Amino acid sequence: MKIEKIRFENICFAHEGSDPVLKNVDFDFPEKEVCWIQSEEGQGKSTLLQVLAGLQMPQIGQYLINDANIRDMTFEEFLPYRLKIGYSFDYGGLLSNLSLRDNLLLPLRYHKLLEPQESAKRVDALIERFEFSKNAKERPAHVPGRLRKLTCLVRALVHHPDLLLMDDPSVGLGAETAEIFTQLIQDMRLQGSLSHVMIVSYDEKFMRNLKPRILHLDQGQLYTSVVDGTKSVVNL
Amino acid sequence: MTNRVFAVDRLGRFVVNQMGYTFRVLAMVYLSLRATILDQAQGFRTIIVVLSAQIYFTGFQALPLISVLALGTGGILFLQGMGNLTLLGGTEIIGNFMVLVLVREAAPLLTALVVIARSGTAVASEIGNMRANREIEALESMGINPLSFIVFPRVVGGIVSVLCLAFYFNFVALIGGFFMTQMIHKMPFGFFADSLLRAFAQEDVVIFFLKNSFGGMIIFVICCYQGLSVKKSPHEVPQVTTDAVVKSIIYVTVFNMLVTAFFYMGRLKELGVI
Repeated sequence: MKIEKIRFENICFAHEGSDPVLKNVDFDFPEKEVCWIQSEEGQGKSTLLQVLAGLQMPQIGQYLINDANIRDMTFEEFLPYRLKIGYSFDYGGLLSNLSLRDNLLLPLRYHKLLEPQESAKRVDALIERFEFSKNAKERPAHVPGRLRKLTCLVRALVHHPDLLLMDDPSVGLGAETAEIFTQLIQDMRLQGSLSHVMIVSYDEKFMRNLKPRILHLDQGQLYTSVVDGTKSVVNL
Repeated sequence: MTNRVFAVDRLGRFVVNQMGYTFRVLAMVYLSLRATILDQAQGFRTIIVVLSAQIYFTGFQALPLISVLALGTGGILFLQGMGNLTLLGGTEIIGNFMVLVLVREAAPLLTALVVIARSGTAVASEIGNMRANREIEALESMGINPLSFIVFPRVVGGIVSVLCLAFYFNFVALIGGFFMTQMIHKMPFGFFADSLLRAFAQEDVVIFFLKNSFGGMIIFVICCYQGLSVKKSPHEVPQVTTDAVVKSIIYVTVFNMLVTAFFYMGRLKELGVI
């Protein structure tokens, strides 16, 4: 299965006791593009990514992937789609009782996506590419924040997903590592994975390298162009 | 009058809240069992790794503390029993006394208390920290169901550990307690063993399994539930851990009391009293 189309139909989402983040959103997400999700601060960009990842379910409406409504699915029914989605957090998310290498191996090993030797080869190649072999066998608490963030990002794409969702990927990464990472995304897109990439970021330099299409989240609605030019949309 | 109405109102709310809580915890038991059965990816090996770690920590590492507690409890109960039974001229029923008080009541409760203090707190804070550190969300995002990956092996490991610890407690308390007290109160071991064997009934085995297996399940299900109830912040972790301890103790005690009451009523029925 490959993720081809992503669509919101009349989607509403609000955190308990808060104003809605998404209000009756009808939206076809651009296909096979890198999208940079922007908005004024506090409009719910991270929540939008979590809804797209299936970590938060909308209260109303239909979230359609390839015309299948995700909202009505059980954990098991959603699993084939989840395995085609990579998601990285803005902070945290690494399993603290596993080494960095085991964190990267976890999705591959758990779901037996590859043979054990192939999984190890793929993970070791990524570790080599980002030059953290020395720390790969250490647990997250024992390594610098930069490596924790990097491991979290790399884990999101280690299984070659079709849809990659990243929340503030460049924060704490360092210029050189960020460049290697954007290059990795571009390479993987050329090889056929990461068809749809959606990123929330305040880092213009990082995003420009990926030549993104901009999406706006404004007052609970999604737009592909600026609706109100007077609004101070971050990083435009 | 108004005060009484408020008291009844408070009591009603408390009962409704507790019933709601019990229902949610039972729902989690069902969901974790369902997730484990339906989880095609989770191999037997993954479960065994977490399970054995849980049994090692909850069961094996608790042995020194359980030994001390069992020796003390066994010795105390033996001396108290003998002191009073000698006066009444009924030393041959020391076995019945030990089985009734120790095997049926004290051992399940004391083992549960040790497990709550050592492992229940550890499980609640571990899962709470995982929640605060977004590890649970990360597992979900990778298609790993936390209920089958985290909750199920801990609950099963907990049940096995509590059963083994309770058996060990009984053995050490009965045999060790007897030998420890021999310098104060001499009694032939044959006499004591014979009295014990005569006292054991099929009912005791049923009570042993009921109280200890369900006790273990109650402890670990509540502790996992409390850990998972952390919303976002690490400052919630100590609060949910405290709640886990309090709720586990209350639920285990109430459950043990219900089992005892059930068998007591059965005995009364047998005797034709009710």
